[in-house]
Amino acid sequence: MTAMIQLSNVSKWYGSFQVLTDCTTQVAKGEVVVVCGPSGSGKSTLIKCVNALEPFQKGTVLVDGISVGDPKTDLPKLRSRVGMVFQHFELFPHLSITENLAIAQMKVLGRSRDEAHERGLKYLDRVGLKAQAAKFPGQLSGGQQQRVAIARALSMDPIAMLFDEPTSALDPEMINEVLDVMTGLAHEGMTMMCVTHEMGFARRVADRVIFMDQGHIVEDCTKEEFFGAPRGERAQQFLSKILQH
Amino acid sequence: MNYHWDWGVFFKSTGIGHEIYLDWFITGLGWTIAVALVAWVIALILGSLLGVMRTLPNKALSGFASGYVALFRNVPLLVQLFLWYFLVPDFLPESLQTWFKQDLKPSTSAYISVVVCLGLFTAARVCEQVRTGIEALPKGQSNAAYAMGFTLPQVYRHVLLPQAFRIIIPPMTSEFLNVFKNSSVASLIGLMELLAQTKQTAEFSANLFEAFTMATLIYFVLNMSLMKLMGWVENRVSVPGLIGSNGK
Repeated sequence: MTAMIQLSNVSKWYGSFQVLTDCTTQVAKGEVVVVCGPSGSGKSTLIKCVNALEPFQKGTVLVDGISVGDPKTDLPKLRSRVGMVFQHFELFPHLSITENLAIAQMKVLGRSRDEAHERGLKYLDRVGLKAQAAKFPGQLSGGQQQRVAIARALSMDPIAMLFDEPTSALDPEMINEVLDVMTGLAHEGMTMMCVTHEMGFARRVADRVIFMDQGHIVEDCTKEEFFGAPRGERAQQFLSKILQH
Repeated sequence: MNYHWDWGVFFKSTGIGHEIYLDWFITGLGWTIAVALVAWVIALILGSLLGVMRTLPNKALSGFASGYVALFRNVPLLVQLFLWYFLVPDFLPESLQTWFKQDLKPSTSAYISVVVCLGLFTAARVCEQVRTGIEALPKGQSNAAYAMGFTLPQVYRHVLLPQAFRIIIPPMTSEFLNVFKNSSVASLIGLMELLAQTKQTAEFSANLFEAFTMATLIYFVLNMSLMKLMGWVENRVSVPGLIGSNGK
């Protein structure tokens, strides 16, 4: 399989503080990779390096063969091909749901208004929220907003999806409606890189699990290996804490 | 107090042509509005541009905008007006200087000076409001926009500014009213706006108290109306579920 996302020896510093150290991993086409680890371990920073929301000082990141860190790369174009879902949804509060779904399609991909609306509504229907099309983000629940955010990313026809703790800001009862959408996506063969603490989701859906600690990738293995017998002590500790409940 | 009140004074002849004193107040109000509105347009356009510049990653651009704000905010408005009216014209090229000082009517050259002065002064204040509005937005908003492939100008145009301008309507209302109130400095360089007409009425008619009561009333009603207008604008652009949407 060819790697859709390839990170090689990625290192990043905030001033003199090193947040990522020699991170190397890849996500193959159609693969679902879950990134987990304690807070402050660099998971979110790592995933943001994939679409250059965070610059990095060393190493290379290739997305579909294109180098993200290369100054000659057309970043807006590359980013438009990679969908991203954020912890705090980040829908645009001044735009209606339909406009949220359509704006990047129109302004970035140059689609007509009609086409953008049609596509947006198709994906809104997919996440079960077609009835909310005319509302504004502030009128939806957290779980609904996150589903709209996923639909918004999907309407750009991404080659891969990045999820940065998509359920961490949600009430417990809303987590599942978002995970269900993500599970559906995974089953359809979407290439996904997900930073999440939802180990149930990882167990059900992930092909591989990456465990990070203090800016290092300490485990990078299949989910069977990871949940069977994680090799490192740190990962064992983490799992024992998180799986108790 | 031994003062002879006469509220009929506004309808008395000024002794100049067929004008009554009320005509002077109307002319003055006209100048005040003409100064304030044009100065506000300058302030709004330039201030927004500077406010955006202050939030850009480019050090030279944000540095320039910071310098501008420091300069125009730390020198008194009246000093700035005198600089624009008495000193700056002397630095103009010869032909422009003659035009400004001799060809233009005195009221026109005073008008230009005060509009430029007030526009640039208020731009510094508008800049700070716009900057604050942009900085109040969560970083995630621009991240989300970039992640979808927006370019920097698109992020500002479609995501940051529409939200920032909504947030800053209340402080911008204050700035808008300030332009009208500050326009009274024009009376000191001989532009016959509302305050100058009031002083003139007071001197000609000796009805000082009536004249200033009238001026106070006109300024008050004018600014109250503008406040109402801005409240209406705020309601018009409010978005359901967003801060400042009056709970709609």
